[in-house]
Amino acid sequence: MAERNLKQEIQKKLKDDVMQGALSKFAEQYPGSRLNAYKGQDIEELREELRAMKHDAVQHIDQLADDFEASLRKRGTEVFRAKDGQAVKDYIIKICKENGVKRVVKSKSMASEEIHLNECFGEHDIRVKETDLGEWMIAIAGERPSHMVMPAIHMNRYQCAEMFEQELHHEVPGEDIPNMIQLARKNLRQEFLQADMGITGANFGIAENGAIGLVTNEGNARLVTTLPRIHVVLIGYEKLIPKTEDAAKILRLLPRNGTCQRMTSYMTMVDGPTRVMYKDAGGKVVETDRKQYVILLDNGRLEAAKDPVFQQAYQCVRCASCLNVCPIWTLVGGHVYGHVYSGGIGAILTGLFNGVDTFAQFSDLCIGCRKCTTICPGKIPIPDIIDELRSRYVQKHGAPGMDKTMFNMVLNDRGMFHKLLLKAGSIGQAPFKKGKFIRHLPLFMEEMTKGRSLPTIASEPFRDRVERLSRKNPSKPKKRVAYFSGCNMDFVFADTSENVVKVLQSLGMEVVYPIEQACCGKPILGVGDREAGRETAKKNIAAFEKVNADVILSACPTCTETLHETYMKLFENDPEWKARARAFCSKVREFSSFVAEEYKKTGRMVHTKGGEKVTYHDSCHMKRGLGIYEEPRALIDATPGVELVEMHNCDKCCGMAGSFGMKYQEVSIPMLNEKVDNIKATGAATAVVACPACMMQIGGGLDKAETGIQTKHIADLLAEKL
Amino acid sequence: MEKVCRDWASQAFGKGMVKAEYWDDFEVNAKAAAAEIFRVKDFSEGEAKLNELLQEYAPKEIIAVGGDENSAIKNIYDKIAQSGRKIYTGKYDIYEHRDSADIGISTAEFCVAETGSLCVDNYSYEARVTSMLPFVNIVFVNANYVVKDVTVACKIIGKVFNKGYVGFVTGPSRTADIERVLSLGVHGPNKLLIIAVEDFEGVR
Repeated sequence: MAERNLKQEIQKKLKDDVMQGALSKFAEQYPGSRLNAYKGQDIEELREELRAMKHDAVQHIDQLADDFEASLRKRGTEVFRAKDGQAVKDYIIKICKENGVKRVVKSKSMASEEIHLNECFGEHDIRVKETDLGEWMIAIAGERPSHMVMPAIHMNRYQCAEMFEQELHHEVPGEDIPNMIQLARKNLRQEFLQADMGITGANFGIAENGAIGLVTNEGNARLVTTLPRIHVVLIGYEKLIPKTEDAAKILRLLPRNGTCQRMTSYMTMVDGPTRVMYKDAGGKVVETDRKQYVILLDNGRLEAAKDPVFQQAYQCVRCASCLNVCPIWTLVGGHVYGHVYSGGIGAILTGLFNGVDTFAQFSDLCIGCRKCTTICPGKIPIPDIIDELRSRYVQKHGAPGMDKTMFNMVLNDRGMFHKLLLKAGSIGQAPFKKGKFIRHLPLFMEEMTKGRSLPTIASEPFRDRVERLSRKNPSKPKKRVAYFSGCNMDFVFADTSENVVKVLQSLGMEVVYPIEQACCGKPILGVGDREAGRETAKKNIAAFEKVNADVILSACPTCTETLHETYMKLFENDPEWKARARAFCSKVREFSSFVAEEYKKTGRMVHTKGGEKVTYHDSCHMKRGLGIYEEPRALIDATPGVELVEMHNCDKCCGMAGSFGMKYQEVSIPMLNEKVDNIKATGAATAVVACPACMMQIGGGLDKAETGIQTKHIADLLAEKL
Repeated sequence: MEKVCRDWASQAFGKGMVKAEYWDDFEVNAKAAAAEIFRVKDFSEGEAKLNELLQEYAPKEIIAVGGDENSAIKNIYDKIAQSGRKIYTGKYDIYEHRDSADIGISTAEFCVAETGSLCVDNYSYEARVTSMLPFVNIVFVNANYVVKDVTVACKIIGKVFNKGYVGFVTGPSRTADIERVLSLGVHGPNKLLIIAVEDFEGVR
């Protein structure tokens, strides 16, 4: 495969105004429309039912497949198990030859896109037509679908009209959508009527009776399964379910999540060969059983089924809702993902079906914001599976050189980092500083300050302030709190770290700072290098064991999540370190939730009335990683002189997402701009965050846009009012 | 006409699964899916409603199924034929006129309240082309046969679905593939007109 220039492709898509307009409008409307379709339903209960059913199905996938096959054979259907795309193509061409097939109609099948099925017909002089309107247009354009449910969402009506003109050979005005629909109806009707063979995918396949289910709005699948004398089904193993009644568990979620409908116009179950009428070679109308062929597609699926992490991909029902809420997908669209499946789930499916090498090319495009995990009908932990795929890739190929060098030299070695920064701080940034921000960086670093200012390096890192601060520790402390600063809070937001200490001390806590602590390890774990991550974890665990604290506290949600959750998972095969990690992890707390708890205990959590407006941004790792979003709001509410006003999309990613914001500045800045606009619209004087990475991004955006709005960590806000 | 189940009411409907009281929800949700609904007391009112609709849509040709299973419906088709309209009810006739007919009249087994769907038993080829190819699909259904949700509907289907073709029809054929603008009648009917008859059983 040719080497791709992902950044270039992204830049092109960001400049595609038609696509940008369509996607941003869709992203804005989708969440509300989806919720509306669920009115009166217990969404979480429905999701859990679907997850459990699919989870159970994959545990028995071989049995289900055997049952499905046996059911179909009993009913007179031919069943073929295809190892890969080539096997499917060979088999279908063989059926075509045996049955004198000249014309084929298809209803939408992602599995057929996955194996590029349509390519095989041309060389055998067989006419094939997609009949889903979007797929039909895309096929004419020679493009790939940019979305599983809305394949042509990236085109406007005029671009669609061009596709019509190309196919119909006459002028088609783009203004008149209903006219275009009728033209397609007329043209495709003849395709349906004349076709010898219909090919469909399947939304599910039922083991107990061999039925397949098709969910469509246009009704094309009903025609594809009704008019031609042959029906071919291409179905992946992941679509198999045990019983007819299990279909309900899919059907109650798929239309609601996919197209915000309670049900699509047509839900069709076809079981075995059904009757068909057609004119035979002599022109006589005959009624007979339709020939049905069912192809079970493997293409990596059966191997994935055996893996406890990857098998969760079987919970996917292809609703594409994970794309609809993905802050990256809704900016760059589906094509940059490079294969037919896009978005976070697309990265996973591509990794499983096309191999981890293909996956690696665009795995960067998942920033781990976890928004998708809140709506996925099958409750797939998409970012976690991507993490696992990254880690397997790194096991095979090693970590990306630059990331690893940076990490080892800088983040993992505090002494080195310290020196480097001091030098940069005193020399490098001086000419570019304006107040607390760097608005422009010279030469090759210029990209980093395009669209955002960067904070200046703290003149005195937090580690150098510890001795002075610890003198103010209470003589009879309630608890001994060991502070884990993380990189940002040590070297950039050292003042904020100082405020963390002040707030804790005001609550009667003794604060200690193990000086040997390193980076939490997230940057290297994030690229999939677990070996390096383990070394870092050991360093931190050992450093904190020495101080014997009651609580290990961090004011960075990403660090907290890594220390609290990831460390637990790193030592599965190492009992000694697993035990040490468990003891460590059990003490880890996030700043605002810990402080909120102590405020309540000491009677400080009381509502205070009115004051200057502040707004709060939910960091992804804070809200969806740690589940903390009420506590910071309660703390703001208890802070005198300020009043909380909520911003639109308060929990949408600000675009920093670790190093993503630097690496993909072109994607990060539009996300930031949206955030800045939403903050400005509240009229707040201050944007409060609880995450240093968000603080860097949002603070930089608010400064660059010269809004005059301040950005504060919740610790800053609390410390000011002590 | 070949069917998945000869008698859904006695073979598939379990105790307490099908209730007239779910009607209101069904009506709201079916209308939200752009179906038009006419609730009538009996088949004589149903016939009058159907004639009204035929006046309104002035079809050149009609294809129709369901008469073999219900004498009242057969009676209505016979009268339409006597009135001079072209109505085809035999399967070979339906085959010949499947693409030229502008109205298809068919039947459904029960209604699903949660989604406003009709559950259709479409084992036969003629039932499928009748409900899918013409621009208008008129459907007779028993107004008392309503299930609460898709879960119950799938349970019912599961009891009798051994081979063939069943499904839900929820409003007319639609697409939003061009600029996400909703357009009806892309491949199937652009009108779904439901005549729900309260006294459906009386004439069986």
